[in-house]
Amino acid sequence: MPNAVRALIVALVLLSCAGARAQTTDGKAALCSGCHGSSGVPADPSIPVIWGQNEGYIYFQLRDFKAGARKSAIMGPMTATLDKQAMLDLAAYFAAKPWPNLAIPAAPGDVARQAERINESAGCKGCHGGEWRGDGTTPRVSGQNLAYLRQSMILFRTGERANNPWMTALLKTYPDTDIETMARYIAGY
Amino acid sequence: MNVLKTLAIMGGAAAMAASAAAYAQEVHNAAGSANADMGTASHTVSQALLDHAANDGKNFLQTNGDYRQTRFYPNNQINTGNVGKLHPAWLFQTEVKDTMETSPIVVNGVMYVTTAQDHVYALNARTGAQLWHYKQKLGPVTTFCCGANNRGVAVYGDMVYLATLDSKLVALDAKTGKQAWETQIADPELGYSETMAPTAVNGKILIGTNGGEYGIRGFVKAFDATNGKLLWTFNTVPENSQGVWATHDATGRDMHRDIAAEKAAYDKNGDPYKNLGGGVWQNPAYDAKTNRIFFVVGNPSPDLDGAVRPGDNLYTDSLVSLDLDTGKYVCHFQYISHDIWDLDAVSPAVLVDVKDKAGKTVPGVLHAGKTGHVYVHNRNDCSLIRFSQAMVPQENMWSLPTKEGARMLPGANGGVEWSPIATDPAAGLAYAINLHQPMTYHLEDAPYPNGKLWLGGAFKVIPGEAQSGNITAVDYNTGKIAWQVKTSQPMIGGILATAGNLVFTGEGTGEFEALNAKTGKKLWSFQAGAGVNAPPSSYAVDGKQYIVVGAGGNAQVDSKRGNTIVAFTLD
Repeated sequence: MPNAVRALIVALVLLSCAGARAQTTDGKAALCSGCHGSSGVPADPSIPVIWGQNEGYIYFQLRDFKAGARKSAIMGPMTATLDKQAMLDLAAYFAAKPWPNLAIPAAPGDVARQAERINESAGCKGCHGGEWRGDGTTPRVSGQNLAYLRQSMILFRTGERANNPWMTALLKTYPDTDIETMARYIAGY
Repeated sequence: MNVLKTLAIMGGAAAMAASAAAYAQEVHNAAGSANADMGTASHTVSQALLDHAANDGKNFLQTNGDYRQTRFYPNNQINTGNVGKLHPAWLFQTEVKDTMETSPIVVNGVMYVTTAQDHVYALNARTGAQLWHYKQKLGPVTTFCCGANNRGVAVYGDMVYLATLDSKLVALDAKTGKQAWETQIADPELGYSETMAPTAVNGKILIGTNGGEYGIRGFVKAFDATNGKLLWTFNTVPENSQGVWATHDATGRDMHRDIAAEKAAYDKNGDPYKNLGGGVWQNPAYDAKTNRIFFVVGNPSPDLDGAVRPGDNLYTDSLVSLDLDTGKYVCHFQYISHDIWDLDAVSPAVLVDVKDKAGKTVPGVLHAGKTGHVYVHNRNDCSLIRFSQAMVPQENMWSLPTKEGARMLPGANGGVEWSPIATDPAAGLAYAINLHQPMTYHLEDAPYPNGKLWLGGAFKVIPGEAQSGNITAVDYNTGKIAWQVKTSQPMIGGILATAGNLVFTGEGTGEFEALNAKTGKKLWSFQAGAGVNAPPSSYAVDGKQYIVVGAGGNAQVDSKRGNTIVAFTLD
C-alpha cells in the first residue's frame, strides 16, 4: 500500500474516532470515500468497491468489523462508535450508488473456461448469483478490484478473515492457481 | 495523495448524498381490458373449495394440488392419446430473470405466480394477460441459501399469502394485489428466511422456515389468516434433542457414530438445541379426518460437523405430525439421526392410503428423501412401513466427512431435493425426480458465525465425473421401481400426474415433457429456452384444460436463467 494512502487512512481513523458518533450519514460516508473513492473507485486496488454493493452485505461487514469477527486495523476503529442504525444507514447509502466501472479486462477464454469448471464444482453461483452480483447479505463480486478479490480469498482460506466459515472451508480445498483463476475471471466479468 | 485534497473530495461526496429510498411496496394494475375479460369471476376461496381440491378439475388451489399433496390432477382432457398435439397457449414474461421455483395457483381463471425476489403476478389464466403485479420491498438483511427463490402463494378467502426472503408473511388483496398486512416471522439477521409457499387451512396460515444452513432453531408457525396474529409455534428442535442415540439409519445402515464421545460431549456442553437448525422447506400436508398436519424437517446445523451437536438432533431429518389446532406434537420418525451429510428431508410429505407389511390398507404418508428412497409410513404413529429401492446410485454410505474430502453418493443435493413428488393413488405409484451428483464431503470445524452460512465444512461436486438425473415411478405398496427414465442433467423442480395417464416434468436443459404415467415413455416435449426447474400445475378455463409451468432456471444447479411462465393447451 502506498505511503500516502497509509497516511490518509491513519488520518481518517483518527478523525473517525474523534467524531463519528456526532456525524450524519453523509459525514460518515465522506470519511469512507477517502479510501473507497469519492466516485466509487477505490484509492488502491487492495480496497474494495462499496458503491453499489449489496446493502445487507455492507451492513454485515460493518457489524463484523465492529464486533471483531472480521479483523482490520483500519475498519475496526472506523466502526467502533457506529450503532446498528448508523451501519444500516451507511449500507443503504452506498448500496444506492452506481457500481463503478473499473475497466478490468475480461479473462481470456481458457481462464474463463477453467473458472466455470471450478464454479461447477464449488457451486459459487448458488450464492453469488448467475451474474456474480450476489444478493442481500451475499456480495457482488463481478467487476470488483482484482487484488482485493485475490487477497480476500487467500485470507478466507488461511482463516485470517474469519467472518464466513463456509468460505474458509470451501477455499481450503482449492490451490493458489484456482484462486487466481477465479479472481481474474470474476473481476473481469 | 494529498490528505487535505482528499478531505475536500470527501466534503464533495457528502454534498452528493442520496436521499433515503422510499420503502413503499409497489403494485401495478392492468388497464381495464385484461380485468374486463375476467367478468364477474369470484376471487374468493372458501374452506369448502380447498377441502375438495383433490376433485377439482378446474382450479389448482394449493401448492401441491390439494391438502394430501398428491399433485394428481383430476382432469383427463389432455391425455396419452392427444398430448402430442399440446402447444403453447400463451407465454408471460416476468420482470425478474432469475431462478424460478413457483407453483402456479389458479382460482376461477385467475393465476397467481411468484418470482425470485418475491414478486407476485396475477394473470388471466386463459390469455396470460397481467391483472396486477406486486413487488415486495425487501429489507436490507436477507440470509438465504440456494438462490432468491419463491415457491408460490397460498389463497384463502379474499387474500393471497406470500412468505418473503426477509422472513415476513404478507397478505395481499386477491383482486387488486394491494397489501392488507404483513408480519415478521423471524429475524433474518439470524439466518431465517422464507422461500416456501404458505399453507392455508381452517383460518390459519402455516409456514415453516429456511435456515438449517445458518444455525437457526427451526419451526412451523400458524398465523391468523385475517390479521397475521401468531397462533402457535412448534419448534422443530425440542430442548431435549438427544433422542435414543440411534446407530443405524432408517434403512438399517450403520452411520458410524462414536456414541461414547457424543455422550461425553453432551454431558459436558449440554443440549445444542438453540442453534441446531431443522428448517422446514416445504408445505405440510393436512389430514382433515384427524385434524393433523404432516411435514418433514431438514438438516441439523452445522451440516457436516457433528462434534458440536451431540445426540440424535431431534427432530431434524424427520417426518413430524402435529395437531392443527394447537401445534402440539403427535408423532415423528427420524430418517438419519445426527446427520453429517445434509442428506435430509425436504420434499413435501404426501398422504395416501398404503398397504402395510401385512398387506392391509392403512392411511399412509410418503416422503421422498435425498437418500434416493421413497419412505412409506403409517399415518397413525409415523412409523416406517417400508422404503423403496434406491432411485440413484449409493456408494460408501455412511462414510464420515474428512478434511481431505470423503467420496460418497448420493451427493448432498440428493436423490430427491425439495422437488415435490406426484402420486397416482389409484395406480399406487409415486413419481419422483432425482439428482445424481458425485460429491466429496469435507469436514472443517468452525464456531457459530452469528447468522452466516455454517456448514462445518464443504460438499463439492467431483470435477470430471458424469452427472445425470432421472424420473422414477415407485410402487409404494411394494417399494419396487416400476420404471425409470434417465436425463442428461440432475433434476430439480417438481412433477405433476394427471388423470390423462400422464406425468409432466421439466429439466435444466429447458426441456418440458409429458410421459406415459404407466410406462415412462416420452410422448411430447417443448424447449422453453431456460431451465424448467419448477413444479407444473394444471387447470381449466371455459372447459379447456391447460398445463402451466415456470421456466426461469435454478440457482442451485445453475441452469440457464429465464423469466417465462408458459401455459399449454390443445386446439
